[in-house]
Amino acid sequence: MTFEEPAMPEPITVPLYDFVGGPLCVTSTDGERLYDRIAPLLRSDTPVRLSFEKVEIVISAFLNASVGRLYGEFPEDRIHALLSFAHLSPEDLEMVDRVVENAKAYFSRPADYERAWLETLSEDDRGD
Amino acid sequence: MRAAGPSTTDLTRYLPRQISTDPAGFEALARLHGATRRLFGELLTLDLTPLRFFDANMCAPLGAVLALVADRFNAVRVVNIAAPVEQIFRKNRFLVRYGYPSLPDTNHTTMPFRRLRLPGDGEFSEYVSDQFRGKGLPRMSDRAVDAFRKSVFEVFQNATLHSDSELGAFACGQFFPNKERLDFTMADAGIGIRDRVRDYLGVPDLSSVSCLRWAIQPRHSTRAEPSPGGLGFEFLKKFANLNGGRIQIVSRRGYYEFRGTEDVFRPLDADYPGTAVTIEINTADSGRYVTTNEIPSSE
Repeated sequence: MTFEEPAMPEPITVPLYDFVGGPLCVTSTDGERLYDRIAPLLRSDTPVRLSFEKVEIVISAFLNASVGRLYGEFPEDRIHALLSFAHLSPEDLEMVDRVVENAKAYFSRPADYERAWLETLSEDDRGD
Repeated sequence: MRAAGPSTTDLTRYLPRQISTDPAGFEALARLHGATRRLFGELLTLDLTPLRFFDANMCAPLGAVLALVADRFNAVRVVNIAAPVEQIFRKNRFLVRYGYPSLPDTNHTTMPFRRLRLPGDGEFSEYVSDQFRGKGLPRMSDRAVDAFRKSVFEVFQNATLHSDSELGAFACGQFFPNKERLDFTMADAGIGIRDRVRDYLGVPDLSSVSCLRWAIQPRHSTRAEPSPGGLGFEFLKKFANLNGGRIQIVSRRGYYEFRGTEDVFRPLDADYPGTAVTIEINTADSGRYVTTNEIPSSE
């Protein structure tokens, strides 16, 4: 998933290996830190490229807290225009897609999202 | 100061002959917890005489139960351990804490018992780096090993974010070469999925099993905004599906298992203090891990 527009200025590249201090993007803490750094750039319409070069492991908790969270603040088309990814394996690219899909659903869910599930409960669901 | 509670010699009746990674094994540990939960300022002599077989990875939940005992200012001694069990416990270093010397893991089948601080990301990363090599994993494709490592990091993050376990997390694994299986268990001594989900949904009498059923659904997460969640378990299941492995979650009185495409839930007859997640992997897996789109969904 690469979203680049020719008219855009050169993106700021975030070398995640250096940003997290190693090959593991495996904590939501690092994901939140990444969000805190890139969200202001997107607010000022600065393109950002997340480089996963030398990164060995990426998990959903990291991506939820960084990329997924952006969908709570920015419109989808703006994120697509400003955020790109480099050096992602096909598996991790799939994971990013899933995180994005999940984030969009999460931030657009109705206020009574849980109600449908709660309405399926019966007396058998009560207990210890 | 001594508090009322069972005498230490009584505990043998809570121990079965065998503790495996199954509902009965967790019920035995939960009963042990129930029998020790009122001890305060005691010397607990844990007499393991009845025990003849113990799945090494179950040292993780046993460690959580004994950490809760120690948290109430009790000292713990472990005695009368059958030779095969003692050998396992010394190889995986579980008994080092109780004054027994470790044994070399000459067959490289052990992922040692480790207590981890929460949050303790660096410590766990080191554990995974050190232990997730060898142990039969070379037979697996690199992508399968990476998927396994991702899975255990997802489990650890889940414990970090949701368990509220002041005593940390407890990890242990064992490779069974003849079965071409590796079982890795991470346990915590936190509030459990039940209480977390009850609070989140505002349903104070929701059963442990129903809470588990809710928690494993895609996009279900007790984590409040601003970040979405609820994907970690989805990836775990997909890995298990591709690998031919198994995922098991025990939390309070709830038991869940996923194998193949089947979800199995059942209540436990005792209250396990916290949550334990076991990933059982098929180490003969040389399969391809291409894209998640190719993985059949069981939802």
